[in-house]
Amino acid sequence: MNRYFRELSVTAALGLVLLGLAVFAPAFYQPQPLLSLATREAPTLVVMCGMALVIICRQIDISVGSQFSVCSVCAGLLAARGWPLFLVVPASAAIGAVLGSLNGLLIAGLRLPSIVVTLATMVTLRQGLNLVRQGEFVNLPDGVQWFGLSQATGQWVLVAAALLLLVTMGLALRHLAAGRWIYAVGSDTEAARLAGIRPQFVTFLVFVIMGALTGLAATMNLVQSPQIQPLTGAGLELKVIAAVVVGGVAISGGRGNLWGAFAGLLLLACISPALTHLHIEAYWEKAIQGAIILLAVVADGLRQRTGGQR
Amino acid sequence: MARGPQPAPKPMAATPSTPAPLLSLRGVAKSFGGVRALRGVDFDLQAGEVHALLGENGAGKSTLIKVITGAHQPDAGEITLAGRMLGGLTPALAQQLGIACIYQQPALFPDLTVAENIGLRLEPAAAIRRIGWQRRRALAAELLARIGAHISPEAEVRALSMPEQQLVEIAGAVGAGARVVVMDEPTASLTNREQERLFTIVRELRAAGVGVIYISHRLEEIFALADRVTVLRDGASVGTHGVSDMTEAGLIKLMVGREVAQLYPPAESTPGEIVLKLAGVGCADSGVHGVNLEVRAGEIFGLAGLVGAGRTELARVLFGITPVTAGVITLGGKTIAPRSPQEAVSHGIAYVPEDRRRHGVVLEMPISENMTMAIHPRLFPGAWLRFGAERSLALDFIRDLAVKCSGCDAPGGSLSGGNQQKVSLARWLATKPRLLILDEPTQGVDVGAKSEIHRIIRRLAKDGLAVLMISSDLPEVLGMGDRIGVMRGGTLTTVLPGGAPASTVMAAALGQDENKGAA
Amino acid sequence: MSAPTNVEGSAPAEPRPSWSWALQFLLRYETLLLAVLVAEWLLFYHYGTSTNRRGVVVGFGTIDRQFDILRHSCEIGLLALALTPVILTAGIDLSVGSLLGLCAVIFGKLWHDGGLSIPLAAALTLGLGALGGGLNATLITALRLPPLIVTLGTYSLFRGLAEAITHGAVTYTDFPASFLFLGQERWLGLPTQAWLFLLVAVVVWLLVHRTTFGRSFRAIGFSPEGARYAGLPVERRVAFAYVLAGLIAALAALIYTSRLGQAKADAGTGYELFAITAVVLGGTSIFGGRGSVTGTLLGVAAIAVLKNGLACLPVVIRMNAAEEMSGLLTGALLLLALTGSILPKILSTFRGRRQAG
Repeated sequence: MNRYFRELSVTAALGLVLLGLAVFAPAFYQPQPLLSLATREAPTLVVMCGMALVIICRQIDISVGSQFSVCSVCAGLLAARGWPLFLVVPASAAIGAVLGSLNGLLIAGLRLPSIVVTLATMVTLRQGLNLVRQGEFVNLPDGVQWFGLSQATGQWVLVAAALLLLVTMGLALRHLAAGRWIYAVGSDTEAARLAGIRPQFVTFLVFVIMGALTGLAATMNLVQSPQIQPLTGAGLELKVIAAVVVGGVAISGGRGNLWGAFAGLLLLACISPALTHLHIEAYWEKAIQGAIILLAVVADGLRQRTGGQR
Repeated sequence: MARGPQPAPKPMAATPSTPAPLLSLRGVAKSFGGVRALRGVDFDLQAGEVHALLGENGAGKSTLIKVITGAHQPDAGEITLAGRMLGGLTPALAQQLGIACIYQQPALFPDLTVAENIGLRLEPAAAIRRIGWQRRRALAAELLARIGAHISPEAEVRALSMPEQQLVEIAGAVGAGARVVVMDEPTASLTNREQERLFTIVRELRAAGVGVIYISHRLEEIFALADRVTVLRDGASVGTHGVSDMTEAGLIKLMVGREVAQLYPPAESTPGEIVLKLAGVGCADSGVHGVNLEVRAGEIFGLAGLVGAGRTELARVLFGITPVTAGVITLGGKTIAPRSPQEAVSHGIAYVPEDRRRHGVVLEMPISENMTMAIHPRLFPGAWLRFGAERSLALDFIRDLAVKCSGCDAPGGSLSGGNQQKVSLARWLATKPRLLILDEPTQGVDVGAKSEIHRIIRRLAKDGLAVLMISSDLPEVLGMGDRIGVMRGGTLTTVLPGGAPASTVMAAALGQDENKGAA
Repeated sequence: MSAPTNVEGSAPAEPRPSWSWALQFLLRYETLLLAVLVAEWLLFYHYGTSTNRRGVVVGFGTIDRQFDILRHSCEIGLLALALTPVILTAGIDLSVGSLLGLCAVIFGKLWHDGGLSIPLAAALTLGLGALGGGLNATLITALRLPPLIVTLGTYSLFRGLAEAITHGAVTYTDFPASFLFLGQERWLGLPTQAWLFLLVAVVVWLLVHRTTFGRSFRAIGFSPEGARYAGLPVERRVAFAYVLAGLIAALAALIYTSRLGQAKADAGTGYELFAITAVVLGGTSIFGGRGSVTGTLLGVAAIAVLKNGLACLPVVIRMNAAEEMSGLLTGALLLLALTGSILPKILSTFRGRRQAG
C-alpha cells in the first residue's frame, strides 16, 4: 500500500466533493464568496499547522480555542491603544507562545497527559478571560481592519500569508532536522532518546510553537472585523483536530504531513457552504464533522491491523 | 563501579603475531541484586576478526554485550577500546566511539522510512540543518546495496519483516563506520539465502578491519564464520580458543561441564494417566509446528531449549493467547482449542508467565487481590466480592508457599522476586488446574527461594498435578524433570528420560549430534 | 536470556503499629479532600450568608441554597460517576456531555412529536444512551482505537445529531407536572433527583468497590496485558464501562430536562469538563487503576460547593463574575489535582526501580 495512501484518499475525497459541488451547486464557485470563505478560514489554517505538529508528536492540545480568544483580546487591546500592527502581530504571537509554554511545561516537564492538561488550561484561560473582560467587546480603531487596505486587498494578503506559512512549515517539517525530530519523538520516544534527540525538549517546543501560531492566527482574525468578541475561537480546537486527523495525521504520532492536513481542512471547510448550496440545513455540520472524524480514525485503525504488521 | 582513570594500560602481551586488541575487557563483573551475572570476565577482540561468543541461556552473554554497548555499567573491571580506557560508557557514547550492536529486536522508528532511520543514525545533531533527501536516499541505497539488501529506501520500517529490519540496522552500523559490531543471534529468523548474504556481509566487515562479536547457538555458523570462540558459563569465561582448534563436542563440553552444585527434590510419585496430549500442534503466526508430546498426572515434564526455540510460544498456544492453527490438543481426553486465557482456565490449564512483573503479578495491587485474580467466577459467584474468603485463601497460600510479606494487603511490587513468583504461582494454584505450565519459574530468584519453589513444584506433582516446566536453567531442567523435551526451531525434537546427561540435552538444543566430530 | 531483573531482599514481617494505620488513614487523599470540602463549605457559609433587611437569613447558609447546590450537582455528579469506571480502566470519555444533549433532545422529540408516554419515552432514551455508549465501546474494544480520539469524534457526532434533530432551534417544553416533579420538587425532604443520584451513587460504588467488575477495571488500568494473562475478560469489561457511561448520561439527560423544564440541543455543554475534573480531583488517577467512587463524590461536592458558594459571596456578586470565577478556579483545581496525582506514579516507579536494582 502506498505510503501516502491516506493523503491521496483525502485529496480524492476533496476532489469528489468539489466536483459534486460543481455539478449540483455551481453557485458555490463564485470568486467573491470563495475568497471570503478562504479569508475566514485563514486563521484556522495557521492554527492547523501547529496542531499537526502537536499530533505528530503524539500529543494533543484542546486549549487552542481559549488561547485564540486570549490572544485576540490582547491583540485587540493593544491595537485599540494605538500600537501599530507590525508590533501587534509579534506581540500576539509572543503571548501565544507564553500560553503554549505553560502547556509545554506541564506536559513535557511533569509528563502529565496532554488531554487533561489542555482541558484544564482551556477552561482556566477562557474563564479567566471572561472574568477580566466580562464579555465586553473590544472596539478596534479604523486603521486596523484589513491592514488599512481595501477589503479585497486585505483578503488576498491574509490568504497569501496563510498559504505562505503552510508551505514554509510544510517544507521545514520535511527538510529541517528539527522537523524530523518531531516525527521521531512521536514515533518512538525511547528510540528517539537513544538516538540522541531530547524528547522532552522537542515536546515542549512543539507546544510553544502551537501557541505562537495561535497568536499569529488571532491577529489574522483581528483584521477582519471592527471588533473582537470574547467568544471568538470557540470550537476552533475541534475543527482543527478534525482537519488534521482526517488529513491522515495519525493520533498515535509519527506520521502524516501538512499537505494531507490541508486537504482535510479544505474538505471540512467545504461542508458548511456545500450544505447551504445543497439546501441541507447547516445544523448537520457538526454531526458530519464527527462522523468524518470517526471514519478517518476507523480507516486508520483498520489499515494498521491489515497493513503494516510489526 | 568501573575504576577511575588509571595510568596508561599495559597492552596485552604484544608478540609479532598478536597485535594489541581492538577491544579488551579485563575482570568485568556485574551483579543484579543478589545475582552475579558476570564474574571477572576477560575478553578481547582483534580488529578484522570474527569472535564468536557461546554459552547457554543465563551464562552472561547478554549482560556482557550490554556492558560493551554501554547499556549496563560494570561493577568492576575495565574496558579498553583501541588502547583507550572507557569509563562511564553510555549507549550514545558507545555509538559515537564506533560500537554498534544489532539486537534481535531492532531499535528503529516504525513510522519512518528506511532512509530516514539510517539518516537519523548517521547525521550530526544540529537542529537547524537542511535535510538533503536526495542525499539521504542515495546514501541509504548505497549502504543497502553494499550489504546486498534488496530493500527500498522509501519503505516504511513498520512494513518490513524482522530480518529486513536487521539488515537496515546493519546498513546503519556500516554507514556509521562502526569499528566493533556486535551481532546477537542474527540468523535466528533468516532463510538460507539471507543467511548466506549475512555471512558475506560479516566477512566483508572483517576484511575491512571491523571487529565482529558474533553470538549464535548454531555451531555450524561458528565454525563457518568465526576465527575465535569464547565460551561463557555461569558468568565466567571458561576459555577462548581458535575455532580451528575446537570440535563441536569440545565446545558443548565447555558449555555445560560443571559440578552439580544443587540437589533437587526427588520424584516421589509414579506418573498417572495422560493429562495433556499434543499431536502435530502448531501456530502459524508464532512458528511453532508439529509438536507431539504427552504429559501425565504427577509428572514434571521439563521443556528445554534455547531462546527462540519456541517454548514460550507453545505455552501461549496452550493458554489461548495465540490460537492453535494446526494439530490437536487433548486435555484429559477432551479435544480443546482455547481462544483466550479465560477459556484455557475453564479447561483447567494454568500458565505462570515468564515476565513476572508485566504478566505475572499486578505490582500495584495487593497480594490477596493478585492471588484471586484468576478465580473470580468461582470464588466470587454473582460477581460479588467476598473479602473474608479472599483473605483466608490468601493467608493459606502465604503460609503454604512461605511468602515473605508484611501482610496480604501489601502491594505485589513490595515483594522480592522470589516471593512475587510465589504469588504468581498461588494465583494459578487457586484455579485448581489439571495442567500447570511454568515458564522460567526461578528466573531472577535467589537460591533460597529457588529451592523452596522446587520443593513446592515437586509437592504439586505428588498431589497429582501435571506440570510442564519450561526452563533455560539446564541443571534445573535436569534435576526437576521426570522427562525432558527439547525444543528447537519451533518444534519438539527429542524427548529424553530424566537424568540424561547435560551434554546430551545441550547437543539436542543446539541441533547437534553430540557424538559427531569427536576427535 | 537477559540478565535477572529482581533483587533479593526481605520485606519486613512484623505488623505495623496502630498509630501508623491511623496516620495513614488521616493522610489518605480522600480524608484530605473531605477536610478541604468542609473548610470550603465553612468559608462560604461565613462569608456568603447574611441577614437581609427583613431579618431573614439569605445566601449560602439557607436550605434553599443547599438544595440548589444539590440539584445542580446531580447531573454533573452522574456524569462523574459514569466516568469513574472508564477512567479507572485508563480510558476516557469526552462524549458524555454531548450524549446528554442528544438524549435530552430525543426524549423531548419522542414525547412531543412521537406522542409516547413519559415512561416509555424515558425508557427508550435510556436505551439510546446505552447505544451511544455502545458505539464508543465497539470502536474502542473491537477496533482497538484510542479512546481519546474516538470519544472526541462522538463528542462532535452526538452534539451534531442533537443540533440536527432540533434544527438548532426547537426546544421541547410543556412537560407534564408529574415529570417535572423529578427535577423541580422535593420528595421526603430532599430534591427528588437527589434520591436518584444517591441510588446511582450507591450502585456505582458497589460496582467499583464490591464486585469483580471494579476489581477488573483496576487491574486493566494498572496493566491491561497483566489482566489479560490473568484470564480477565478485558474487552468485555472495558465495553461495559463505556456502555454504562452512556446509560448514566441518558439518566442525567432526563433529570436535566426535568429540572429546567425544557429539552434543548445545547444541554450538557461543557459538562464533561466538570465531570472529569471531579473524578481527577477525587483522587482517581488519569493513568488508570487508582481511584475511588467516594473520592469522585467528594470531588463533585467540592466543585458544586465552589461553584455555588462563589455565587453567594458579596464581592463576587458585585463583580457579577460567579460563573467565571468558578470556571477559573475549577480549571486551576484540575491542574493542581493533576500535578498531585503524578506523585504516586513517581513514588511507585522509584520503588520499582529500587526493587530491580
